[in-house]
Amino acid sequence: MGAAPQASPDQRVAEFREVFRRAEQEVSRVIVGHQEVIRKLLTALFCGGHILIEGVPGLGKTLMCKTAADTLGLSFKRIQFTPDLMPSDIIGTQVLTEHDGRREFQFKPGPIFAHMVLGDEVNRATPKTQSAVLEAMEERQVTVFGVTYKLDPPYIVLATQNPIELEGTYPLPEAQMDRFLFKVIMNPPRPEELREILNRTTGTEVRKPEPIFDPKLAPQAIESLKTLVREVMVAEPLERYIIGIVSACTPNTPGAIPEVSQYLRFGPSPRGAQALMLCSKVNALLEGRVSVGYEDIDDAIVPCLRHRLLRNFQAEAENVTTESILEQVRKRLKRPRA
Amino acid sequence: MPNPVEILGRAARRIAQVAAARTFAYAILPAIVATALGFSLHPLAHLTWERWGYVLGGGAEQTLFDGLLAVAGLMLAGGFAFAAAAYVRARDLVAVAEKVDEAVGGRQQILTLATLADPSAPDSAKRRRSPLFPVLWNSAAAFLESFDPRRAFPLALGRSITRSSVLASAIALGTILAAIGLIRTPTPLQAQASRLRELAAEIESTSSGPGDIAMADMAREAADALEDPKLTPEEKKQRIEEVMRQMASHSEERQGGGKEKGKGAGGGSAQNGKGSGSGQGQSEGKSNGSGSGSAKNGEGKGAGRNDKGQQGDDKRIELQNELSKAEAQIETEGASNQNSNSQPGGEKDRGESPEGGKPPEEKVQGSRPNPRQPGNIPTQSAQGNRNLPQSGTGRQSGKDQGSNLGDTHLGEFPTPAKAQRYLKPGEKGASLDIHDARYVMFRLPSATPVGSGGTTVIDPHRTKATTPYVNAPLKETSSDAPPDERQLVPPRYRDLIH
Repeated sequence: MGAAPQASPDQRVAEFREVFRRAEQEVSRVIVGHQEVIRKLLTALFCGGHILIEGVPGLGKTLMCKTAADTLGLSFKRIQFTPDLMPSDIIGTQVLTEHDGRREFQFKPGPIFAHMVLGDEVNRATPKTQSAVLEAMEERQVTVFGVTYKLDPPYIVLATQNPIELEGTYPLPEAQMDRFLFKVIMNPPRPEELREILNRTTGTEVRKPEPIFDPKLAPQAIESLKTLVREVMVAEPLERYIIGIVSACTPNTPGAIPEVSQYLRFGPSPRGAQALMLCSKVNALLEGRVSVGYEDIDDAIVPCLRHRLLRNFQAEAENVTTESILEQVRKRLKRPRA
Repeated sequence: MPNPVEILGRAARRIAQVAAARTFAYAILPAIVATALGFSLHPLAHLTWERWGYVLGGGAEQTLFDGLLAVAGLMLAGGFAFAAAAYVRARDLVAVAEKVDEAVGGRQQILTLATLADPSAPDSAKRRRSPLFPVLWNSAAAFLESFDPRRAFPLALGRSITRSSVLASAIALGTILAAIGLIRTPTPLQAQASRLRELAAEIESTSSGPGDIAMADMAREAADALEDPKLTPEEKKQRIEEVMRQMASHSEERQGGGKEKGKGAGGGSAQNGKGSGSGQGQSEGKSNGSGSGSAKNGEGKGAGRNDKGQQGDDKRIELQNELSKAEAQIETEGASNQNSNSQPGGEKDRGESPEGGKPPEEKVQGSRPNPRQPGNIPTQSAQGNRNLPQSGTGRQSGKDQGSNLGDTHLGEFPTPAKAQRYLKPGEKGASLDIHDARYVMFRLPSATPVGSGGTTVIDPHRTKATTPYVNAPLKETSSDAPPDERQLVPPRYRDLIH
């Protein structure tokens, strides 16, 4: 399947839905459960964002990302973040090579040069190494010895984070957290899912996903679908609704709800609003609409904003989660009238 | 494929109409309540505070009426203004699209279309359109294909009217509070005016011709004159007298007409003549006039007087009595004012009503006891006042001569030599000489004696006259005067006068 440039808008919308549906289906052939995580992963890909997945080891985070890459025909690289990992290990470095009797430095790209990069246990690397990923995530380029190398689109970083064994870890700074479009939580499988996992992984049958795109055409096709997402229209009252949500989550501002001012130190940055808008657009497209609705925005609030809110001491002491605060915001905020 | 923008335009008109109607509906019930209260103020007064002995003083009834009408007018004007504003506001295409979206479940597709196809800002809207706009257009058109604005936005006014009942109740409550705040105990003149109006209404309701209506009008004129604060007592009195003169002439005309006709027809029939002699109603006069001279005919026609005519006569007499009372009341008030103005010291020198057990000298500061001064007269009702002895003047005595109109000033009253007053406990004042009195003041039993069974009986402890006297009947001044005008003391009290 490939995007036809001359396709009508209706066809493009239909193609997007089909690609998304098939990608979900193919990943689900390998991964049991975690439908929401799969959907958010694909959403982040079509939005052009990155995703932070949090979950205990062994839930299939790495397998999910690899399966998604295989399904979409994208290149995939995995980086295991450790405390002794150096930036050059990620970005790449100049190596001295000899060619036809001449010695010269040649850039050897690191694992960051791929369409889909999995940064496993990203919080175990030092801040210096973590920051090396920042430029790649935001600018989609890396600079080595003054030379800038562009990363091929589509580009997505899937970082995982272990919520336990926090000794010797370096929690991601707020600036870096803000660069992730979503933060999704992977929960342990339910008993019936676990049974299905056992059946699939301990037998002789090996399931592999069916690629949707030809690997050569995949980047172009996905970029075309990403363009389609950005063409989805948003009415002015809905834009105001998104702005209202972000304002309501910013403590000590006129639009903030009392819980926000009580439990938060900082609210979301403008990237939060951008994430809300893009995620809403994908949600609308998945429903076959080319305009965003209020429900699309509501569905995007928690995954888009949960990691952008910085709780204060009181919230941590009272075990008030950012999810519960966002839920309050969603309940309290009135939809603006036209 | 329908044009979504056109459909939205139709929906906008419908929503604007509904919005205007609903807004105006908020004003309807309060306006109706205010108007109804205004026009039913008089009947309400009759049913409530006037029955309990109060009136809306000093033109307050008119003020209240005007206020209620003004409130109703304001409500309607405000309702109209708000409805117009609501109409204009509700025509906003984007706002309409949002409502339509909710109605059809379009998940903000109609809203988005409206923002991108707003005819009022075509350029900016076009700039924001994406290549996917045709998809949105088709989708919106599909939603609106079977959309009927009239069905989606019905003209349901019940909620507005129900909500406006709060305001209507507030108006009603405000009116009640205002009425409570404005009601006063009526002055004797106001009470008299009220009584005159009641009589006028009764006369009108039992009217047997234009004469009765004219009489009712006269009564109302008199009532208005009594209550008019701009008029001096003299002017009021003149008005009352004028009304009385008009009534007398009117009555005489009617009586005269009956007589002439009766006489002309009756001829030698004594019965016919008798019938004509007492004829006062129009019907009677006419029937007599058409008689052929037969005694039988005369009797038959005389008996044909209807109940209305009889009732009308009674009311007329009653009205004359009331007018006379009103005149007496004016005189009393006029005299009171005159005294308070003429005596040095004004209010300070004004006498106060004596209290039981205290000598009048302690209260009355005036140089000489004045029987017309209210403070020196034992408190009594307006009816009692009309029976007070009046200082005789030529006009009053002249009025008394030959009048059968129920004038209370019958004859020339002697001025009492001594003022009545209360005595100190144990004090025995000079006995009153009532030789020349044609009216006596009598005291009603203060309480029904035990064992009387609730009936009015003679007070065994009453003050008895020591001088022999005869309770002679009043001199008859006119043979035509009905019996109830010859003696003004109500029959039930006659036995009490010894």
